[in-house]
Amino acid sequence: METYQIYSLTSAVLFVIGIGGVFISRHFIKKIIATIIMGGGVFLSFVSFADRDALAFADPVPHALVITGIVVAVASAAFALALARRIYQLTEEESFTNDK
Amino acid sequence: MTDLPISPYPALLVGLPILMATLSLFFRTRGEAIVGIIGSLLTAGLALIAFVEVTKMGTVIHILGGWEPPLGILLRMDPLASVFIGMTAVVGVFISLYAWRYFPAQEATNGRLPLFWPLWLFLWAGLNGLFLSNDLFNLFVTLEVIGISAVALAVLSGKSPALSAGLRYLLAAITGSMAYLFGVALIYGSTGTLDLKLLSQVLEPGTTTSFALLVITLGLMIKMAGFPFHFWLPPAHSSAPAPVSALLSALVVKGAFYILLRLWMEVFGVSLTYAAGQLIGLAGAIAVIWGSWQAFMQTRLKLIVAHSSVAQLGYLLMIFPLIILAPGVTADSADWLSPVWTAGIYQVLAHAFAKASFFLSAGIIIMALGHDRIESLRDLVGHMRITALAIGLAGVSLIGLPPSGGFMAKWMLLKGIFLSGQWWWAPVVLTGSLLSAGYIFMLLRLAFAPSREKAPFRPVPKKLEVYALLLALGSFLIVLPADSLVQFLESSEIFGSGIETILEGGINGND
Amino acid sequence: MSVLIDILLAILVIYLALQSLLAPRLSQSVFLFFAFGLALALAWVRLGAVDVAITEAAIASGFLGVLFLDALRDFSPRSSEEQKNISTVQNSRSRNSVKSLLLPRLSLVLGLGLFLLIALEAVWNIPDGGGLAADAEKLLPQSGVEHPVTAVLINFRAYDTWLEIGVILLGLLAVFAVGKIQIYRKPIPVVDDILLRQVILFFTPVLFLFGAFLLYFGKTGPGGAFQAAVLWGAIGILLHLGGRPIFLLIPRWLGQLLLTLGLLFFLILGFLFIAGGATLFEYPPAYAGVLILIVETLAAISIAAALTAMFANLNQMKKEESNKIDSTN
Repeated sequence: METYQIYSLTSAVLFVIGIGGVFISRHFIKKIIATIIMGGGVFLSFVSFADRDALAFADPVPHALVITGIVVAVASAAFALALARRIYQLTEEESFTNDK
Repeated sequence: MTDLPISPYPALLVGLPILMATLSLFFRTRGEAIVGIIGSLLTAGLALIAFVEVTKMGTVIHILGGWEPPLGILLRMDPLASVFIGMTAVVGVFISLYAWRYFPAQEATNGRLPLFWPLWLFLWAGLNGLFLSNDLFNLFVTLEVIGISAVALAVLSGKSPALSAGLRYLLAAITGSMAYLFGVALIYGSTGTLDLKLLSQVLEPGTTTSFALLVITLGLMIKMAGFPFHFWLPPAHSSAPAPVSALLSALVVKGAFYILLRLWMEVFGVSLTYAAGQLIGLAGAIAVIWGSWQAFMQTRLKLIVAHSSVAQLGYLLMIFPLIILAPGVTADSADWLSPVWTAGIYQVLAHAFAKASFFLSAGIIIMALGHDRIESLRDLVGHMRITALAIGLAGVSLIGLPPSGGFMAKWMLLKGIFLSGQWWWAPVVLTGSLLSAGYIFMLLRLAFAPSREKAPFRPVPKKLEVYALLLALGSFLIVLPADSLVQFLESSEIFGSGIETILEGGINGND
Repeated sequence: MSVLIDILLAILVIYLALQSLLAPRLSQSVFLFFAFGLALALAWVRLGAVDVAITEAAIASGFLGVLFLDALRDFSPRSSEEQKNISTVQNSRSRNSVKSLLLPRLSLVLGLGLFLLIALEAVWNIPDGGGLAADAEKLLPQSGVEHPVTAVLINFRAYDTWLEIGVILLGLLAVFAVGKIQIYRKPIPVVDDILLRQVILFFTPVLFLFGAFLLYFGKTGPGGAFQAAVLWGAIGILLHLGGRPIFLLIPRWLGQLLLTLGLLFFLILGFLFIAGGATLFEYPPAYAGVLILIVETLAAISIAAALTAMFANLNQMKKEESNKIDSTN
């Protein structure tokens, strides 16, 4: 087993943990954390595939994509956090009341 | 690809709205709105100029930074993209004009509403960017621009039901984007390119490609509220301010559908199976029945309209089983492809116009009555003739009665269904239409019913009613240029063609 | 040996991810999430992606971690007492409906397990696409910078990066949309003591210089606009915590300019290129190096301003609410 394979398998596990977390977790904050974990899995997969045939010159494109992706994911998470805090301030609800 | 004519318009269509959105931030309340409305008018004008350019020159491209794919990103404005961009411009400009009068007329203008303009212009840029994009990762970025601005617009009222619906919407949108992006990672890892055109040449079927197709499809289905991921749509669309509801249901959900269509047609043909098409068609069929039934059961106008969106999007998914051909069938011999594509494009256009008009009318009614419970619609005709007419016309198009755009869509869909021999979809189309006729006629019956007591209708700016009516008329007028529109679209590579499947069965598809 | 480190790190990352979702207390979740980010950053170092590691540690773990910590002030105080009530309610509810809940839960977990197996198979069997390393290497000399990741970000895929700078501004607008614009209100310092002020005074120039160093170093090695931006944003956040909000200290127009400068300059530059007959973001080769440095600097300033404003707005949201409650009482 090579290094990249360890991490690409990890990425799939993180992705599934994230999806599960978004659906199963109840608290808003945990749902938001779950989306970030899901994103972490996705970004890890990009970079692990790039590492596969890196010799002298690693593929810079996935690295750049992941940097872009992380920043975008953080912007959405900050927005989600603002919503969650505001809902709590107005209603004292920490999770969706009639959740699946 | 890179030998196509180069044009600056694709870049300007994304740059201009963002420029105006950013500039509007330097002004306060009224100044922000002025810059915003100017930005909307300029963007719409630019879109129409670009549309005309494409009708003359055919597909145009813009090679960003001068770096050709696969390393660089290329914007492509083909006939299909230009129709979506034109639709966004026409519907967008009416909603902008409506918003210009609607927000100042709202009594409780809290500190947030001026944000409508920069957010809407960002959303517009995101939509244009999405329609023009030719790169898997860039599509993700445009999806995020659309997702964040759409949810931010949906929570502008600041009330807790809207915030709660907004968070649900945002979490669904993020989950959808991340699922999509996981697919992109797998595709990039296995091909080394993100450019759609190049991918269509190098992508090979296999477990990785199938899984990428699965997560990309799931992600986009979440974003377009396809069954069973429709749960976020009705609360989010119904709790937003009226112009925003109109934007969300007329334009935003179409973005994810557009990508889904492009990717299935242009990239994933090698991995698709007849069964995958049937499965996604089934999801669409359930959405048609379930959404229409739910709409029928609602007692608030905006919730009726929002549930109807779930159903109307279901019709869009039902074109997939018809364009994915059974093994052995060639695209040339499939004579139902042309009607099916016409149905698809008319469903998109008619729904955009009719639904935007419907939500704008609902906003007018809320403004007049203070709420949207339908039992108070009694004698609407006597008090607000124009709005009643707009609701009637938009409703006729949603049901699919002649001579509306909605009729064109459903008629062509039925024609395609019978020509292809997949008769099992026909009862779904008919049941959906009957159910929507049920709730539309219920509304109209109330609107015409005489009212016993003095109705508490407050006066509403007349122009608002006119904008809603013009949009409703739009859902009829689009039928007039049908022949030339279809002809124009057929010069697009994918329009009118089908996916010839190689694989038998398999795990591909949704769920 | 090296493989062993990777396996242990992978297990740690997965463990932290699971635990941050399963931890019974919210504060534990947040701290475990913070640790998850740092472990993930280590994984990126192991994969040779130093730029990504810095970005992850700085923004996904650092900045987001600070936002979560700040949010805990909202959620935790009640949680300890109320959670008991909630959990007793849940217990009684689940006792009533054990059967009705068990089946959907079980099928969900089974579904996820199946999905995981397919996902693992897909990543395990992924064909080698080769990537774009060769193309990037070939065109790197024409890009104006020597570090390939910076070349992709600010030149080859400048369009994505420009949109992404837009997404950060958009994220800020979205936060404004939720809680109104709070950045012009005077904050109450979290801890008002001399030591904190001294610490902030000491860290400000250090963070500034380190950010500038990362920005300039990004031309030739790992680093660049985003990493610098987070460090500069940290200055704004520290000043805010110390009772010196940057957006109150400077005139309003300057604050607006700082927030939009990066996006606007990048775009207007692109429009000028179009006017000159080139395409959007097509730098004239002779000036590419200089222009990229300016674009990066301005982008870093705007992102830093946006991150500061996001934090400030979220931090103030609570206070607005408590003030309102005070005034109504």
